[in-house]
Amino acid sequence: MDEVFRDFRLALADGDGYGLAAILSPVAPENDAGRLYAFYRSSNAHQIDGDVRYAVKYSNSIGLSRDESSAWNDVFVSYWKAVGEILAAEEGENMGKLKDGQWASVYEAWKSMTILLIKYHLSNIFPAWSIPCLYLAGKYLRIFAIKADSQSVKVKGNVTFNAGFQDDVVSSIGKNDKLEDAARQLNRMFSLCLGDRAPIEDSRKWGTYYTANLLFKTHFKLNAISLSKNIIRSIQAQADLPTLDLFPKSHQVTFKYYVGVITFLQEDYVQAEDNLTQAWQLCQKHAIKNQQLILTYLIPCRLLTKHTLPTSNLLDPYPRLQSLFSPLAACIKQGNLAGFDAALQAGEDEFVKRRIYLTLERGRDITLRNLLRKVFLAGGYEPLKEGQTEADLIRRTRIPIIEFAAAIRLGMGPDGQMLDNDEVECMIANMIYKNLMKGYIARERSMVVLNKKGAFPGTGV
Amino acid sequence: MSIPAVPWRQQAPPPAYHTVPTQRTLVKPEPKMAAPVSNPPRKVAWPQSVRDYVQRSFAPEAFVQGIDRAEMERKLKDIINEAAEDKALNDVDWENHPLPQEIILQERKAALAVDENRMAWINGSAYDQATPVNGHTNLSSLSPSPKKRKSPDIPLSEHADDALPPWRKTNNHNVFEARITYANQGQADRVDKRQRKNKDKDNFIAQGSSKFSQAELEKRKARFQAPKSGNQSTPPWIPSRVDSDNEFSAGPVVGTCQELEKKYFRLTAPPKPETVRPLVVLEQTLELLKKKWRQENNYGYICDQFKSLRQDLTVQHIKNAFTVNVYEIHARIALEKGDLGEYNQCQTQLRALYSQNLGGNPAEFLAYRILYFIHTCNRTDMNDVLADLTPADKSQHAVQHALKVRSALAMGNYHRFFQLYLDAPNMGSYLMDMFIDRERLAALANICKAYKPDVKIRFLTEELGFESDPECIEFLTVHHAGDFLEQKSEPDGKLTLRMLTSKAGPLFDTLRSAAFSKVDIKGQI
Repeated sequence: MDEVFRDFRLALADGDGYGLAAILSPVAPENDAGRLYAFYRSSNAHQIDGDVRYAVKYSNSIGLSRDESSAWNDVFVSYWKAVGEILAAEEGENMGKLKDGQWASVYEAWKSMTILLIKYHLSNIFPAWSIPCLYLAGKYLRIFAIKADSQSVKVKGNVTFNAGFQDDVVSSIGKNDKLEDAARQLNRMFSLCLGDRAPIEDSRKWGTYYTANLLFKTHFKLNAISLSKNIIRSIQAQADLPTLDLFPKSHQVTFKYYVGVITFLQEDYVQAEDNLTQAWQLCQKHAIKNQQLILTYLIPCRLLTKHTLPTSNLLDPYPRLQSLFSPLAACIKQGNLAGFDAALQAGEDEFVKRRIYLTLERGRDITLRNLLRKVFLAGGYEPLKEGQTEADLIRRTRIPIIEFAAAIRLGMGPDGQMLDNDEVECMIANMIYKNLMKGYIARERSMVVLNKKGAFPGTGV
Repeated sequence: MSIPAVPWRQQAPPPAYHTVPTQRTLVKPEPKMAAPVSNPPRKVAWPQSVRDYVQRSFAPEAFVQGIDRAEMERKLKDIINEAAEDKALNDVDWENHPLPQEIILQERKAALAVDENRMAWINGSAYDQATPVNGHTNLSSLSPSPKKRKSPDIPLSEHADDALPPWRKTNNHNVFEARITYANQGQADRVDKRQRKNKDKDNFIAQGSSKFSQAELEKRKARFQAPKSGNQSTPPWIPSRVDSDNEFSAGPVVGTCQELEKKYFRLTAPPKPETVRPLVVLEQTLELLKKKWRQENNYGYICDQFKSLRQDLTVQHIKNAFTVNVYEIHARIALEKGDLGEYNQCQTQLRALYSQNLGGNPAEFLAYRILYFIHTCNRTDMNDVLADLTPADKSQHAVQHALKVRSALAMGNYHRFFQLYLDAPNMGSYLMDMFIDRERLAALANICKAYKPDVKIRFLTEELGFESDPECIEFLTVHHAGDFLEQKSEPDGKLTLRMLTSKAGPLFDTLRSAAFSKVDIKGQI
């Protein structure tokens, strides 16, 4: 108890927001693993209010206002209760004797503290520099909510049946009650930050991006990505918000990353590439995991926008990405259709989980393009006419469908055997329609007539 | 509010702190707290025998695998309240009274037995259903017919089709106008429904209309009414509900109505048992409805009847293979009629019911779900469906078909897509009908850009899955491409009709983007 409040006074005296937040952490610091226990044991439910009051108010060496000291008093009492729940739940989990709804009680206790923090920030009783306490509260609110939900799904199952006099049997599937509730609290936090009107030097506006990022994270987990678009919109609408580059880099990277992924999922690959590239450049050198996340989306993005593939140099530091992307990249490069299909299938579960499957799938077009390009190159040149020299050589641009068909059948392996010429034409038509190939199909003559200049745009032939 | 005084409306509302989980403090059995807490206003001095009974229930050796504490406590509460209300607290032989755990176990066994009987019955009926009626099979899985349309529940339209030459058959469902009529009918139904709803409101809500929405009012009412019926009107042999979050949930109604047909009304109060049909009657109702649908094909009537059927199942908490069957049949009928809203409601319910392993045809409806997301171009949901697929799912024919449709469209492979369209299992074609025109326009935009200078109509008919050249021409003319058609004479002297692809390109590009921009996504799953 004493230790906690010594740190508290120090942090207050220094105006150290992150230091203050560390005191309210639900996780013991590494160098003092017993800290939470010690804090919880040092009081009990009857005395905690008095103990904290004494510690905060009557040893008030830093001259807190009455309001502020009683506000901190509330927060710490609430924190003490939450710590009690957390310790009980962790102990239950370690001993395998977790009670039903125990993580939900942790969540509720933590939420009470969070609500207090929000309340005293809203009423301007807490100084703006102490906003990291909100960050911390929000961060763990989300974590506890997820734990509570997964516990309740285990106990009650996924489906709620109607009990009243409804029309239909089932009332809901998929339970995320706590996380949805957490999202509401986080949203309050976000609007509190975004809407703060204090002069910018001393404004809670500096918390906007951190809280926005927390919300993104929550929405992704809830599969409610469309809600995130509203967040982006309201940030864009706030004209007096300082520009993003003035915010801490960690806020910038995460924000850019999420905006990138959101636009990626909306299939706006140009925007996505832009945001993800910025995130990539800003990302801390040693944050391997974050870099990996960014590349997971940036690579498919660039495959579609610029038809570029990751080099093995780029992927070297990330073995997981290496194993996911390099087989695909190799097959695309070779124009190996069967290999591409196999690689896509091999990674399907992981790709789907990351929501990049439907995007990567389009890499098949590039694979096919590369294969057809090889056929074109193998076709050689038109014979020289009289008086023409080597410089006048032009490639053969009238190519029988059967040549392409043979290549595709070979390239697709066993699947290719059932391919008829109409389907081959359909595939070529797609190439032309998507501007991967220039020319046209002359169906009556079973020929593809390719453009003499740049039959395969962007590939040098 | 002029609802006649029913027993469960007379008791005082329960205290707000009813649900406070005191369990945690009850590590040691404390009978004094366990029972009375649930009902504080009535200060009852519990006889020692009752306390002992409670204590025995909580004793560790009485613990039964598979019954959690909450359920046991609820049962215990019910038992004691029941006795208290009958003023029988001192009459019951508490020492020999079965423990709540034992009662629950018995109830479960009984429920199981009922279910098994029912299963046998239903299997029997499914078999009946499979026998040919009017000379043609009406169960999809057993139907060897190569026809595109295979609906188990729609025989009338098929029946009519039998008189037509085979190539007209799908055409019948296919033409654009046909769908428009469906849509209008659906709209008409919806309007009808809305009016009915309003009438309901007039009937049930007090004249001075309130500022609260119907839903809110109902919620509030549920809050105040349910607990009473939970405690009082529930007979002790009905298992207390375990799968609802709502601790006050109303007990199931036990219906006594013997009528087979019933008009659907949205409930605003717990139904009276005499208006609810018990399961045995409902099973006959379903047979009747199937027959009527076959004979009369009156969608308005059938939809209404199915809704009341679903409602009766719900208020009686019937969740078994029969429930699944009802929802499946309603979903299929709604699909056939293009009523996406009703179809979606059934689909959502089915998803949850399948997760309870109650039987039915999960693969068939999973395939519909995939096709539906193709229709709505919903990549997020499509991704989620893909993420949830198990290898077992993927081995199912219908699911495989739907996945092939998806990948063909993703690749722009219209050639394969239209082949799959002609070969859709179950009622997949009805869903594919929703986006077939859109995909035809997309394919045409594609073909117009890739083929020069023209293509034969025959080629388009084959590539785009039309039944005949005239149908293809009709489609083109409806979309104002008539000007781009041209008669040409072949080298062998025959005349063929061709489409001038280079000229028609811009038209189809415009039509294509228009078709994709207005995907109707009402009633999302």
